[in-house]
Amino acid sequence: MNVRMAFLARAAAAAIAAAAAFLPGVIATAQQIDMNVVDQPGRVPTADEEQLSGAFERQEVFFRTSEAPGTVLIDTNNRFLYLVQPNNRALRYGIGVGREGFQWQGVEKISRKQEWPDWRPPPEMIERQPYLPRFMAGGPGNPLGPRAMYLGKTIYRIHGTNQPQTIGHAVSSGCFRLVDDDVIDLYGRVAVGTKVIIKQAVAL
Amino acid sequence: MIKPLLAAAAALAFGAAGSADAQTLKTVQDRGKLICGVSQGIAGFSIKDDKGAWSGFDVDFCRALAAAIFNDPSKVEFVPLSAAERFDALKDRKIDVLSRNSTWTLGREEESDVVFAGVTYYDGQAFMTPKTSKATSALELDGAKVCVQRGTTSEPNAKNFFETNHVNYEIVEGDTGADIVANYLSGKCNVLTTDESQLFALRSQFPKPGEHMILPDVISKEPLGPVVRQDDMQWLNLVKWVNYALIDAEEMGVSSKTIDEALKSEKPAVKRLVGTEGDLGKPLGLSNAWAANAIRTVGNYGEIFDRNVGAHTRLGIPRGLNELWDNGGIQYAPPLR
Repeated sequence: MNVRMAFLARAAAAAIAAAAAFLPGVIATAQQIDMNVVDQPGRVPTADEEQLSGAFERQEVFFRTSEAPGTVLIDTNNRFLYLVQPNNRALRYGIGVGREGFQWQGVEKISRKQEWPDWRPPPEMIERQPYLPRFMAGGPGNPLGPRAMYLGKTIYRIHGTNQPQTIGHAVSSGCFRLVDDDVIDLYGRVAVGTKVIIKQAVAL
Repeated sequence: MIKPLLAAAAALAFGAAGSADAQTLKTVQDRGKLICGVSQGIAGFSIKDDKGAWSGFDVDFCRALAAAIFNDPSKVEFVPLSAAERFDALKDRKIDVLSRNSTWTLGREEESDVVFAGVTYYDGQAFMTPKTSKATSALELDGAKVCVQRGTTSEPNAKNFFETNHVNYEIVEGDTGADIVANYLSGKCNVLTTDESQLFALRSQFPKPGEHMILPDVISKEPLGPVVRQDDMQWLNLVKWVNYALIDAEEMGVSSKTIDEALKSEKPAVKRLVGTEGDLGKPLGLSNAWAANAIRTVGNYGEIFDRNVGAHTRLGIPRGLNELWDNGGIQYAPPLR
């Protein structure tokens, strides 16, 4: 009961944040709001939750870039991941990104791909969130979802999520999360060695 | 050899004399408001509500000019103009600037003695058709009856496209945007063609927008932007650099929400933009806070786009070509320095 209430409260907060994000004029503000969402190991999202709509739905968009087709570009400020395609096009995915204090940028390569990854929260995360399990085997309900792509030698990954409502928000410890359908789609399109560019908003 | 040289010299002398006489900024300042030519009503771009208030992407550009000049975006009078009368209204000094979905072409600058001050919106001609047509490309529109607006570039563009691609077609002309929509919705034609931006705008006003689709083919380059007279370089520069400042502001992360933070910034490019360093307003005849005032009251380029026509509005136009150059699009402004 308590768990459910807590979840409902969080869902309501997410709905408010999402509604704010769609009001013209307050977009920048909404992006600066961190969702107060904690990891929920064991939670299995419904199909409805997994279905993104509007801008965060996976779609082909016009995208002109000097990066080669096949490159992954992560626009953290706007919560989009682009997979560059030929002819000035890109596949665009909605993502969740690192919360305040967990933002980073750089150029990495996908160093490893893993289906149904196990979850071992790194020591830094355990220190901040001591209630987290030390280990969770890969499978439904795992916060990393069905696929993970490791970014170079960093502790960060592109992975799925069992919390689709966090797409479009700054919630993570620095990883990039996609809904499960999307992460499976992306996983099938990129190889180990793929260049990944992570961009942050410019500082004033 | 001598003749063209003389002609060029005469033109130069005439041009110079014209510049000395033209003082658009002074006229605007003395009058206490800007007079801005806009469309007769295109949702999202320039449209008047039932209380007489104008809004839209092109309207906001006029407000940004007013904010740069007066630090007050409300000091604008809007003059709705038809496609046929817009350039004459500018030449006849009935308006100070035209901000009305007009395509920048060489012919227009030569024939109408006007000059485009930049590109606020990269548009292109496209086609709308009922979803029941099941077409996935304009190449599948064989036998189409095509509604176009008389006197625009849409008609020759459409003819050229269909003839080049051996698609049979019939043109159905209308005088205004409202005419061609009425023709399309009443079934006098089954394809509507004009600039893509206008198709999104028109569709948003349909009784059932969801029953119509905009095909992916874009058959022309239609760079839209503000227009001024050729006789006033200072005014041209002012209009041009307000546009550039709004684009640069988005690139630098300076928005109506972050302007106060930007005023405290130590970054030279940001300081020049908001006027805490340098003297960039002076040659334009403005205070150094000109860009900051426009950004604070109207917003940067991205904010103006999102608010009026963006993905979360009724029009729902993707940024596409109009995304910044470093974010997948081609909007690119020279630096303020």
